[in-house]
Amino acid sequence: MEKILDKKQIDGWVAALTANSPDEWEVHTPALEEGIWTYQPANGTVRLDHPNTKQSPKEFAFPQREIFFSFEQIKGEAPRLTQIMPKEQRHAVFGVRPCDGRGVPRMDKVFNDHVEDKYYTSRRKNIAYVGLACNKPPSPNCFCLSVGGSPVSTDGLDVQMTDLGDRYFVKAITETGKAMMAAGGKIFADPSAADQKQVKQTHADAVAYPQRKINDPDGAPAKLKASFNSPLWEEMARACIGCGICTFLCPTCHCFDINDEVHNKAPLSGQRVRTWDNCQFPDFTMHSSGHNPRENTGARLRQRVNHKFQYFHENFGTHQCTGCGRCVSECPVGIDIVTVVNKVTEHAG
Amino acid sequence: MSEPQADFEPKIVAFLCKWCSSAGSDLAGVSRIQYPANATPITIPCTGAVSPMYILSAFNKGADGVLVSGCHIGDCHYIEGNFLARRKMHLTVELLKFIGLEPDRFRMSWVSAAEGAKFAKVVTDFVHDIEKLGPQDKLKKVVST
Amino acid sequence: MINIQDIRDTARDMLAKGEVRAVIGYRRGTRGMLAEPAFITDPEQASELVWDPTCFHNLSLYLVEDRKFLTHIRKTANAPIAVVAKGCDARSIVVLLQEHYFKREDVYIIGVSCEGTGVVDERKLAPLLNGVQATDAAFDGDDFVFTTAAGEKRLPAREVMADRCLECRIPYPKEHNVVHGEDKTGRQLAEPFAALTRFEAQSAGERWDAWSRHFDRCMRCFACRSVCPMCYCEECVVDSITFPVTPATSAEEKANRIRWIERSATRSENITYLMTRAMHLAGRCTDCGECERACPVNVPIRMLNNKMEREAREKYGYEPGASIGGPSLVASFLDSDPGDFIR
Repeated sequence: MEKILDKKQIDGWVAALTANSPDEWEVHTPALEEGIWTYQPANGTVRLDHPNTKQSPKEFAFPQREIFFSFEQIKGEAPRLTQIMPKEQRHAVFGVRPCDGRGVPRMDKVFNDHVEDKYYTSRRKNIAYVGLACNKPPSPNCFCLSVGGSPVSTDGLDVQMTDLGDRYFVKAITETGKAMMAAGGKIFADPSAADQKQVKQTHADAVAYPQRKINDPDGAPAKLKASFNSPLWEEMARACIGCGICTFLCPTCHCFDINDEVHNKAPLSGQRVRTWDNCQFPDFTMHSSGHNPRENTGARLRQRVNHKFQYFHENFGTHQCTGCGRCVSECPVGIDIVTVVNKVTEHAG
Repeated sequence: MSEPQADFEPKIVAFLCKWCSSAGSDLAGVSRIQYPANATPITIPCTGAVSPMYILSAFNKGADGVLVSGCHIGDCHYIEGNFLARRKMHLTVELLKFIGLEPDRFRMSWVSAAEGAKFAKVVTDFVHDIEKLGPQDKLKKVVST
Repeated sequence: MINIQDIRDTARDMLAKGEVRAVIGYRRGTRGMLAEPAFITDPEQASELVWDPTCFHNLSLYLVEDRKFLTHIRKTANAPIAVVAKGCDARSIVVLLQEHYFKREDVYIIGVSCEGTGVVDERKLAPLLNGVQATDAAFDGDDFVFTTAAGEKRLPAREVMADRCLECRIPYPKEHNVVHGEDKTGRQLAEPFAALTRFEAQSAGERWDAWSRHFDRCMRCFACRSVCPMCYCEECVVDSITFPVTPATSAEEKANRIRWIERSATRSENITYLMTRAMHLAGRCTDCGECERACPVNVPIRMLNNKMEREAREKYGYEPGASIGGPSLVASFLDSDPGDFIR
């Protein structure tokens, strides 16, 4: 289903989705707060003129903090566990860039591999991603083309929107996307031949736009494997301060920690909670004995890069990195994954 | 600010130095002075040992008010402890005020071992002031479901 | 006006003579105009060093990393390590020396004065570049000159300088082994604590509204802590996960360690973390501004530290990083310390 949506009508579409009884959507759109773009509940005027959001949309299916179950023990009785599943509520996320869209199936793979993570899947099944193609790279550090993506990719999206100036070309990718567009009803118009031509040209221009480049993405898995003991890792990680920015902002990083949060000691009550964890934190691999297999920044940088470009490839046949460029732009000390991968693969033995 | 609720019982955490204020609170008890029972006493060796983290943690756990009480200036059992406390606690309360917490939720006093009546008065005044402020909900950890 | 060749010569000569074992400085990174920390051990590498408005990093952080590394491998260094330091960075080094983190002879400070300007604030610059990326940034008197694909863009430095540079009273590394550039102490581009004063003009309710939103946004990436040279504790008291264990740590100790806050990045836990950190930096923070620059979600962390700094100065006459032999703020007192707030 392909339609045209006048930019002035986008608020109307969001309103229709929000009011869509009996299956209302909770709509989240990019909004500027304190100088950063984040996803916020849609509130009045919808803006889709963001470059990319600071944080990826992984937080919808995989929140920073998630409660698994609550526990309580009344004296003399057996402990009582109450599973807490996410609320049944549909969510629509607007303005999802193609790199973030491609992150979604990669996360899906991880949380369904051998064992289904019910907390993830119960949220995931209720989320629709409405993407926005990139007419030009939103960041000087984008490199989606190098990792099998594209500024007009629809992978992971339910709907794809393309900015044509005063209107959007809106294309349903999944059945859910179709239903969302149907909810908008007469807000949408049929595309003309000129519209189709403009979309084609816009997409072609987008793909031709220069980006940063991973020189040998296909050879990367084998070359990285051969470079495990390379002294380059420590050299390139010398400035790394072990903060959590690259990992927390990444659309496909998914490591987590589980802790029991005790609210009351007597009677005992609390919750078991999952939170994001970070392989760049110095104690991520700290063993109970005190030994830490990744005790320097070189080992931890190697871990992250290998996970994105080698291990994930070995497990699932595709790169985990989607080229959004956030880790490159946001690193406070300039660790640059594109430079790192290129340098290591160039020197691979 | 919410209206003072009729059934609101302020929870106050009181860090009392063992040599002066804690002894002062004992004297209040032995003298049978009646005063509100809302303060949970925590004995510490000296107010100089009170880390700002204790204050923040008390508020995080839901305290409506935090009291730090020690020896009078010049009388510290460890000579200098309360001088250091005077600085650290001042900095702490300035920071709490800065982010918008009601300044009256933190109180500091010098109560000696002989001042049982003063101790009772300090706690009574504090409880009444906190009653007016209502429950503390800014720094308190929320248990969500 | 600083000639970068002077800095490069200093570095090259010190390395060639073996007087220092490494030089921590700035070099051009791989992301457009931005500089990045450089760690050079070979005199030939000295030609990579740069000095431009994007040299915002506080390189004294890497002195801490170096010291931790030496301790870990149980070695002592055979020569000092050199570091390029701006005024704020040099004051950080003074605080580290004050706290006996290393000895004065362990570090060779290549001081660089900010003269009449300072470093750029990328957040202020971005809207002025209209989405075009700059590939080069240079000092030019009272201006910064940016090279972009759309041509050269010259901007008065004042418009895009970091707040901390505008408010800086001593843009000059008083503690140094060698220094490049003139001492422009007293240049007074903005009132000290100007940003803080603006914020404090608001009511308590407004301040809470603003701060509660900031605390909600914090995702506890700990970038603020990681980038700060003063946050050198192996075990961060607020982060129970960093409790260092050795084979000798008993199960009892592991089970009973205090957990001050939960891992969840929720408002109450974030408040305890950020406030504790501000308290632990009281009298130690030299306003290098890195915490605020590093924060990915724009929490105005620097303001918390500034508040403590102003209290220290106004109430106790205390200046962090002023003297190596000086006392620490919270381990000293004066008879005149205010005490009216005590009943």
